[in-house]
Amino acid sequence: MTRNSFPQPITRQEEVEAKQKTRRVLKGFTKKRANLIPILQAVQRKLGYLPRIAMAEIAIFLDIPSVDVYEVVTFYNQFRLNPPGKHSVRVCLGTACHMKGGYITLDAWERRLKIKRGDTTPDREFDLDTVACVGCCTMAPVTVVDEKPEAKVEPTKVDGLLLAFEREKQQTSEKPQ
Amino acid sequence: MRQGVPEGSLSTTFASLQKNALARWQQERSSAKPVITVGTATCGRAAGALDVVQAFQDELERHGIDCPVIEVGCMGHCYAEPLVVISKPFRPPICYSRVNPVIAQRLVREYILGDDPCLEFVLGALEPNDLIPSFQDFPRAAYEQKLLLKNCGHINPLDIDHYIANGGYTALVKALQSPPAHIISEIKKSGLRGRGGAGFSTGEKWEVCNGAQGRPKYVICNGDEGDPGAFMDRSILESDPHSVLEGMVIAAYAVGARYGYLYIRAEYPLAVEHTRIALAQARKYNLLGKHILGSDFSFDVTLFEGSGAFVCGEETALISSLEGKSGMPRHRPPYPAVSGLNGKPTVINNVKTLASVPHIINRGADWFAGIGTETSKGTAVFALAGKIVSTGLIEVPMGTTLRQVIFDVGSGIPNNKNFKAVQIGGPSGGCLPESSLDLPVDFNSLTGAGAMMGSGGMVVLDEDDCMVEIARYFLEFTQRESCGKCTFCRLGTRQMLSILDDITKGKGKLKNLETLERLAEDVKAGSLCGLGKTAPNPILTTLRYFRNEYIAHIVEKRCPSLMCRDLLTYYILPDKCERSCDACVGSCAVEAITPNKQRIKVIDQDKCTKCDMCRVACPVQYNAVVKLSPPQKVPVASK
Amino acid sequence: MNQVTLTINGIRITAPEGEKLLWAALDNGIYIPNLCGLKENTEPLAACRLCFVEIQGRNKPVTACTETVTERMVVDTKGEQCLRLAKSGFELLMASHALDCGHCLKNRNCELQRIAHHLRVSLKPRILRKILRDLPVDDSHPAFIYDPNKCVLCGRCIWVCRNHVKSGVFGFAHRGFQRRVTTFGDEPMGRSDCDGCLECVRVCPTGALVERGAVPRLGRTEPVY
Repeated sequence: MTRNSFPQPITRQEEVEAKQKTRRVLKGFTKKRANLIPILQAVQRKLGYLPRIAMAEIAIFLDIPSVDVYEVVTFYNQFRLNPPGKHSVRVCLGTACHMKGGYITLDAWERRLKIKRGDTTPDREFDLDTVACVGCCTMAPVTVVDEKPEAKVEPTKVDGLLLAFEREKQQTSEKPQ
Repeated sequence: MRQGVPEGSLSTTFASLQKNALARWQQERSSAKPVITVGTATCGRAAGALDVVQAFQDELERHGIDCPVIEVGCMGHCYAEPLVVISKPFRPPICYSRVNPVIAQRLVREYILGDDPCLEFVLGALEPNDLIPSFQDFPRAAYEQKLLLKNCGHINPLDIDHYIANGGYTALVKALQSPPAHIISEIKKSGLRGRGGAGFSTGEKWEVCNGAQGRPKYVICNGDEGDPGAFMDRSILESDPHSVLEGMVIAAYAVGARYGYLYIRAEYPLAVEHTRIALAQARKYNLLGKHILGSDFSFDVTLFEGSGAFVCGEETALISSLEGKSGMPRHRPPYPAVSGLNGKPTVINNVKTLASVPHIINRGADWFAGIGTETSKGTAVFALAGKIVSTGLIEVPMGTTLRQVIFDVGSGIPNNKNFKAVQIGGPSGGCLPESSLDLPVDFNSLTGAGAMMGSGGMVVLDEDDCMVEIARYFLEFTQRESCGKCTFCRLGTRQMLSILDDITKGKGKLKNLETLERLAEDVKAGSLCGLGKTAPNPILTTLRYFRNEYIAHIVEKRCPSLMCRDLLTYYILPDKCERSCDACVGSCAVEAITPNKQRIKVIDQDKCTKCDMCRVACPVQYNAVVKLSPPQKVPVASK
Repeated sequence: MNQVTLTINGIRITAPEGEKLLWAALDNGIYIPNLCGLKENTEPLAACRLCFVEIQGRNKPVTACTETVTERMVVDTKGEQCLRLAKSGFELLMASHALDCGHCLKNRNCELQRIAHHLRVSLKPRILRKILRDLPVDDSHPAFIYDPNKCVLCGRCIWVCRNHVKSGVFGFAHRGFQRRVTTFGDEPMGRSDCDGCLECVRVCPTGALVERGAVPRLGRTEPVY
């Protein structure tokens, strides 16, 4: 499942839910074309991604062809057509990170998560993507894990970060029992 | 002063704001209490500054000490993050570097509670004194001139009073009391040129917009800093957002704009948050909104988050994005100053350009024009990154040489490596070699050398960096970020990338270089917008200054800098490998290293991912892991 | 409307004031290669980058579609610099064009063939490598067939669909090399609301949009030089 591949079908119930949530978000906006990007951002914040039904609703709301919404969504890096994972992993590939081995870090993430950049793991735990530059060039190579920039992420730190998630997951699954 | 408002009332309104702000600032800073400030901009946070803040607060509470812990922005010394400044009465303010929670606890106990300044953690004092070397004694102080970065790391960016107490918004008050034409002529006279890269005269842009037909007019601040390796705008927006706002309001007054947009890229969440707070505070003080400070002038700013597209740094693409479309550049002219957002006259300026404006208004055009070179006035802010000791933000007068910036201000290349090149201006810029180091940094001389001022990212490369790979990296970037509208950029960058890919994989041919050069020139001449027109610069400069590296890749299938992974092998020298040490075995993420019968470690080349971890792990006294290029040179190891 | 007089390739022509140079030249029988221009569209896309000309007094070639004619303008459409750019741009387009003139319904009626003929270049890229996107051909619509691999992204079809038909069946989507003319969610054209007016087929300069059941023109597959 890649971020921008052909939108995946979702269940009927997911669709109804997405539609309701989208409509609720739309209540906060006026019907101006200039609002398209802020609307998409707000809906994605709510749903985690932009399903087909949400894009269709937005198109009706703004009275524009639905393909125009699709154009904007597929143009910008930030928008996703498919659901994200629980944790987001963004490997920075800015110049400084690249020169200090960001591509090696990306390799390590891809190897460990067994997915390619732009993909989500089948259990929807992680999604992996790259980011052009987060402006933390002095901490290179950087990986932004769940919005937090992690400094000097080399392959061994990748293992360490994953281990921390693993442990956290174990602890939360142990608690209710 | 525009009609209707008595001159005095404006300054009176502001004077009360100022008085209030000063009182608060003085109470916070010059009281008998110690004050701790922690730099919590993005780079500080990445290094753990928020944990440090928490540690200070916990420790102070434990000891029952009344001492404010203030979060400030970026001081520019990013190599030493997290940075903490502790000011104690009767002591110079001391800056500590690489502070962690344990050091924080010690500082509370030993310096705040006791009186031991813990010299082992000190980076420098902020003021000259007899006790500790101060920043003024650093070699970089001789070159640095902080204008835009003056407040960064000094004030709390979330507190408008801090900005006002340090002279903020006085330029706006001064501007509102003179006619717009006067402000435009001041800016023109100052010689301020756009800091976004192209270096167009700001005053002329304003003048055109001022004279253009159509209402309402707009002022847009371009904070879509997309160049990888550049973070000046991020830092200013995070650490001193009001300076940018003040510049925007002055620009709006000068051109007669009613609405403004601050366009900040989505990858900078902290800058977005800080700016949002700053906008709310400025509105509350009536420094934005209707009848600013009781004058006839009304202006308000909307924050717009970019959605991740490098091309939106181009002004027409940015406007398209604000209009709710994909960020497609369009043909110029008409320039935005005549027909921009919604077809109305629009001034678009970079963050640093706008942040320079209050200083010019306050201290005069002549003062500003006195800094810098003949053609480029004022200061230049650079983000130093890559293979340089003092990574971070610096601000020097235009005309400082690259050598001074890299070796004096930036303290040179770490690990005793040799300087190879400096990449300036991101994907639009170029790589300049040792021989160009005595060039002064200003708009004209950099362009002459084939690079570009760009927005100010400077990535230093040493002998381990491959220039072909750098060119390939930037092409991959521009190719991915090309909007796809025009033929040259969409397909030309793709073709060039495919040639460079081949070369870095050892599959290149000599005649490819000719194609590459020709194509690069055509893409430069034929593309629609600045992205395409400058995309070939990394190729053209590396071909110009480092052609021998291309030839080594093509003819010898060798990467001279040992960087291109397809052209190298990792090998453990049997006579250097220490049999009792297993550091490399543990470091290997894919279990490609195993000891042989003599306990000498051997790499299984089929498994090896060339991640470099074993070479890093191998203790320096052995240095047994080496990279070999071309790869077929690897000796066959006995199992 | 006032007329202005200008010189193209040494020939004096007149054109209405405010006219773009490209249309002034074409209306006077002087051919300049172009793909993305539509005379009705007053906001030129300037995307195909083929209509480069040299204007006296300018140091660089400019695109004729964006340049407004002025009195006594002196234009050269055959200058070395502008032809180099046009040829280079054309070769780039052809390097990513699924070339199959023998089976193409647009054969001998194709703007790309015309441009190749005009520039005296081959349709096959000479030095550039073939980089194709390999997108599926969409033959789901009863009235026309869409082959995105032959599309040069001129945007004419989108413009007429929006401005003549007042419909928004297709538009551009995706970015960079992946940019394409497509429908909402990249769905087959047959599943969209398109009623098959064929306006888009009429303006398509290449074989990307062709009418279903049209008879291929026989003849040489490719001009030979």
